[in-house]
Amino acid sequence: MGRVQVYPSSHGRDYHRLLLQHGSPLLLLDCHQAEQQYHQLKAALPGVNLYYAVKSLNHPLLLSALARIGSGFEMASCGEMEQLRQLGIPPQSTIHTHPIKRDADIRAVLRYGCTTFVVDNADELGKFQPYRHRVGLLLRLSFRSRKARVDLSKKFGCAPAAVGGLLRQAVHLGIHIKGLCFHVGSQCADALAQAAAIETCNEVIRRHHATGAAPISYLDIGGGFPAPYRNEGLDIELYCAPIRKALSALPDHVRVIAEPGRFISAPAMTGLTTVIGRAVRDDVRWYYLDDGVYGAFSGQLFDHVRYPLVIFSDSHRRFNSVLAGPTCDSIDLIAENLRLPPLQLGDVVAGRLMGAYTVVSATLFNSLEKTRIVALPDACHPIEPSRTALCPTATV
Amino acid sequence: MNSFTETLYDSYAQVLRVDELLFEEKTDHQHLVIFHNAAFGRVMVLDGIVQTTEKDEFIYHEMLAHTPILAHGAPQSVLIIGGGDGGMLREVTRHRFLEQIFLVEVDRRVIALCRRYLPNHSQGAFNDPRVTIVIDDGLHFVQTTDRRFDIIIVDSTDPIGPGQALFSFDFYAASHRVLRPGGVLVTQNGVPFLCLDEMVNTAAHLRRLFADWHFFGAAVPTYVGGIMAFGWASDNPSLRQRNLDNLQHAFTQSGITTRYYNPQVHRAAFVLPQYLLDAIGKASRG
Repeated sequence: MGRVQVYPSSHGRDYHRLLLQHGSPLLLLDCHQAEQQYHQLKAALPGVNLYYAVKSLNHPLLLSALARIGSGFEMASCGEMEQLRQLGIPPQSTIHTHPIKRDADIRAVLRYGCTTFVVDNADELGKFQPYRHRVGLLLRLSFRSRKARVDLSKKFGCAPAAVGGLLRQAVHLGIHIKGLCFHVGSQCADALAQAAAIETCNEVIRRHHATGAAPISYLDIGGGFPAPYRNEGLDIELYCAPIRKALSALPDHVRVIAEPGRFISAPAMTGLTTVIGRAVRDDVRWYYLDDGVYGAFSGQLFDHVRYPLVIFSDSHRRFNSVLAGPTCDSIDLIAENLRLPPLQLGDVVAGRLMGAYTVVSATLFNSLEKTRIVALPDACHPIEPSRTALCPTATV
Repeated sequence: MNSFTETLYDSYAQVLRVDELLFEEKTDHQHLVIFHNAAFGRVMVLDGIVQTTEKDEFIYHEMLAHTPILAHGAPQSVLIIGGGDGGMLREVTRHRFLEQIFLVEVDRRVIALCRRYLPNHSQGAFNDPRVTIVIDDGLHFVQTTDRRFDIIIVDSTDPIGPGQALFSFDFYAASHRVLRPGGVLVTQNGVPFLCLDEMVNTAAHLRRLFADWHFFGAAVPTYVGGIMAFGWASDNPSLRQRNLDNLQHAFTQSGITTRYYNPQVHRAAFVLPQYLLDAIGKASRG
């Protein structure tokens, strides 16, 4: 489907009102939407405990909302840990998953009260020797997935063949490895890679169990659950079917956890930008917006995502158009080769699914301030056009 | 917060019901929580770990204070490292013959908050004219002070937090320097059944520095997992061997009354189970 949906101009009024009230550009945070995503994934993966990946979107209101409905939290830095502490998140409901840590990181996380860490090599295992009485480690395995938008098994994870040696080293050091984990990648097209990884882990766990060693009792299946950036729709229940099948073959004593980030946070924010400049160059209409790839659209560079866009117009004419960001850099383009109705100065261009890996990786380039986040009160639901019963008049 | 779950270990924990949350603050040094629990009274938690409770603090404080002081016989000065809750100070100040008592605490908020929320710990001991409070890192203090002490009591947190340096060779070496001849150093070394390394590491340091060293123990209910180990180090080996009559005499002379400590307990506390003797390399001798 096309990347830009065109709605009748009357449907943009709420957005205009919000921009008048709060200024432009803006990110609208809808915690209720994130809660629904959490419940959907929980239903699609019965018995799996979810640890929300704080890195994807760390807004305190979102974290608090997820904590209220029972979510755990996955953190990868002391900064994320400090945010969780300040929100009063009980450390027992957190895991630290960065495979590479400094000693100071380990100590700080232990002092917060989180005792679950991830390792994937002998050096890292050795770092836990002084804390061996206090921690339970997850051993990260590497499974390359060509179908993932972001391959997370290149930089981290040990080969399944190396597991035996690391488990033996852990026993030698008196360190408890309580589980295995993996992360096949982010924004996976399907769950087959995840299912295959679970099957391999199942073999490792059973082989280890047969030796009579202390049981491996946790399996962390990572994240990778996608967001429907192409307006393609996503049935998470169906998507998770191969995962459920693979999990059902695990021994009864294995508890399963997952680290969803994008799936929960992506639909929780809508970006609102305003057309602040226009030009016609070589018969192409250029529209300059007040947010771009150095700002809330940074995920287009770092996360390799194109956000579905929404504009509001009653015109049926279409022109070759470009949507560009506000900085001086020519890389700051949000979308090219579009056929758009004519836009006016002050028109709103909205970006959907802009919750995950957007504002968290935004820069301050050109000394432009980071895009403000405004949380929608519950009473506002639903404000996003895609969530009303209305259909767009066109997609381009 | 309806309950507090200690986060000392990954697969084992004590849970205390929080009947009233009295105070919570992230100080410059640590995360401090004080609450009331029906079974243990007021409870102070630092960085997720129970430090002291009104109900069982007497065991820890009496054993760590009276054991070295009464064994020494005639100390004039005592240095307490840590102990911002004031419980150790309370027990130490009960010895009337002491002339000078220093308390070196790294976190001034701990003292302020414990005076307010755990007044039964200090019972006015902070106001004793013999007491000097120093807000300083314990390692820095013993490395730089010109003063000398007959007794050093290390009333620290565990080695993960701000107490880390208080388990280092450098700290024990500086403490040795600061002790008067025949002085005694006592330390808290955690619950060895669950965390043997603290005791083993301290043993390795004390072995290099002192003519006589050992550990003694006491079971403190909220330091879960069996007996807590206390380190003992002195260049005067006879202090650890004082007989019962001798200790009884010193105890009677002191005029203090206790709830856990007595001379028999004092003697018996130095008797360690075999797995601990093995761990500290004293398998065949006491």
